[in-house]
Amino acid sequence: MKKKITARGTARSSANKVNPNLPDKPSPPGKLKIRQLPTGVRGFDDILGGGLPEFSFNIIAGAPGCGKTTLAHQFMFANATPQKPALYFTVLGEPALKMLRYQQQYSFFDLAKLGKAVRFINLSDLVLEKDLGAVLEEIIKEVQAAKPGMVVVDSFRTVVRKVMSVSGGEMELQGFIQRLALFLSSWQATTFLIGEYTEDELRDNPVFTVCDGLFWLTQNTERNSVVRKLQILKLRGQESVPGLHTIRITGDGLAAFSRTQGLTAQQDRPLKRRRLSTGIAELDQMMGGGVLEGDSMLIAGPSGTGKSALATHFLAEGVRHGEPGIAAIFEERPRGYTARADSFGLDLHTPQKKGMLEMLYLRPLDLSVDEALQEILDAVKRLGAKRLVIDSLVGFEMALAPGFRTDFRESLYRMIAALTGVGVTILTTVEIEDSFTSFEFSHYTISFLTDDIIRLRYVEIDGQLRKVMVVVKMRGGNHSKDIREYVVTDKGLVLIGPRQTDYVRLTSGLPERIGQSPPEPAPEPKARPRRIDV
Amino acid sequence: MSDSATPKLKAFARQLLACEAATRDPAGTKDSRAFRACEKLRGPLGKLVGISGFRALLSRALAVGGEEAPVLRALHIRADGSLEDLEAGLDPRKLAEGEVVLMAHIVGLLVTFIGPALTLQLLRDIWPKIPEPNFGAGQTP
Repeated sequence: MKKKITARGTARSSANKVNPNLPDKPSPPGKLKIRQLPTGVRGFDDILGGGLPEFSFNIIAGAPGCGKTTLAHQFMFANATPQKPALYFTVLGEPALKMLRYQQQYSFFDLAKLGKAVRFINLSDLVLEKDLGAVLEEIIKEVQAAKPGMVVVDSFRTVVRKVMSVSGGEMELQGFIQRLALFLSSWQATTFLIGEYTEDELRDNPVFTVCDGLFWLTQNTERNSVVRKLQILKLRGQESVPGLHTIRITGDGLAAFSRTQGLTAQQDRPLKRRRLSTGIAELDQMMGGGVLEGDSMLIAGPSGTGKSALATHFLAEGVRHGEPGIAAIFEERPRGYTARADSFGLDLHTPQKKGMLEMLYLRPLDLSVDEALQEILDAVKRLGAKRLVIDSLVGFEMALAPGFRTDFRESLYRMIAALTGVGVTILTTVEIEDSFTSFEFSHYTISFLTDDIIRLRYVEIDGQLRKVMVVVKMRGGNHSKDIREYVVTDKGLVLIGPRQTDYVRLTSGLPERIGQSPPEPAPEPKARPRRIDV
Repeated sequence: MSDSATPKLKAFARQLLACEAATRDPAGTKDSRAFRACEKLRGPLGKLVGISGFRALLSRALAVGGEEAPVLRALHIRADGSLEDLEAGLDPRKLAEGEVVLMAHIVGLLVTFIGPALTLQLLRDIWPKIPEPNFGAGQTP
């Protein structure tokens, strides 16, 4: 399959590429190529447009608890070597002992690097007792002695606050920053100043004028959820991904989830696509031979109509044909999902053990779509997955932090585009309430996102609540227009042969029998009336 | 952390002081082993946590150690983090035990805050020949 790389909504840079997914434009002869350093933060290199420009002078700003220090530590441990060490100057922020105490809990914290590759120097006494000149002098002395590849000053905000509190402080600060930036760049050190700033301080601040990169971290509480975000407000020399990106802090440190992830390397759909079996032969026939490979298919219906059962057939059939699958489930737990498949005679245990199937259980309640997408994309890559089930959109929406629910439709658009872009065939379920006056496909109005729609619904026939399905839409070809009755049995979802009996208004849920054909037996036996002896 | 240094920490402190005793005193100060050890710690620890931070650690070690070895109450920390000389005429046996208690508490505090691995790394930068300590289960003092 030919791979086409597009640059839709993503960063492009003329700088030296670290990220292989991004286009590498060759520089004209004689033009400088800025080397890009890996940040050690999952997803952040992509957002930066390949990595952090070497020798850049950067600021990590934001409120307390956003992950500023952790971000700097990750960068430091990813890049520091005994030959090119990192110097970490602590000023009046977190005491160094506490910093070491807490930071060593992260997996990236490499004890072996401490002392030789990563060195901590405390400047708090100097800042308290002397002026900025003495601070600069000490930094210069240490840098000249260690010849570091990276320098961090944490927290730089305290230096600024102290200087600005006195008359003429602004000029002194301006001079200090200019000299510091010039010195550290000349000594070939990539630098981070860490500070707690508010948005009001962005304007007319000499620190922000001088810096090459400005990374803004925020932490917002939305109802009971907390969402951390990252924004690159400024980055000289290369194009970064604009906007707010979700970040999460785990035991591995910060992870960033780009707004445009998955949209960078899109595969062209082949002109001639295979038809994939859903695992239900009669449904395949209704779909003109099966679902087209690479399609996004929506299964919509109320609770209990067998959406998950259909999804299970789809996954199991894929495994049967050697196509690895992923199930991103939000409502049921993996064990329950697998057990239900057992009850249909479909074995999902063995493929999971063999690495042919993976259940992603995503239910943290403060999830972002980008984060979920990253998890799914990683799993798709890990397994080489060909089929993906998202079960269900309602559960997915519930797992999101409230702020992400408001733009759920837009997020879904990005997610489906990203996932179909990597070539997987997607089956998404969505629960909708049956209305007796309309025939909705989804209350998200996302039918434009899907290539195929199958609608399941209840109908009342002959004193029973029976199930019917119809293929509403198939973008890739013709399909049956029949409304077919089905049952969910110990064999899973089973379509009933076309009926002789004619009905009208089936889509209303309250059909009316027409024609004179003799009554047919119910697909599942009705309760028989008890004989009452008088 | 209990106020008494554990036997394992004391054993390690004795080894540390033995390492220090084995090194030449370049300044010929004839200071006690603990004074010299504290002085050697002052440099790298002061760089790491600042002189104020080092003074805070040392004062905590002296305070908790003083309960166990009253001889330590005679010590005073100068503004630069160095220790004031011991009072003259102290019982050498008690002084030796006080040195062990002081070092045990300094090491104990470091292990509590930054863990055994980082503590040992820091100490081995000064005394490379310190043997592998045994702080017990979970490597806590």
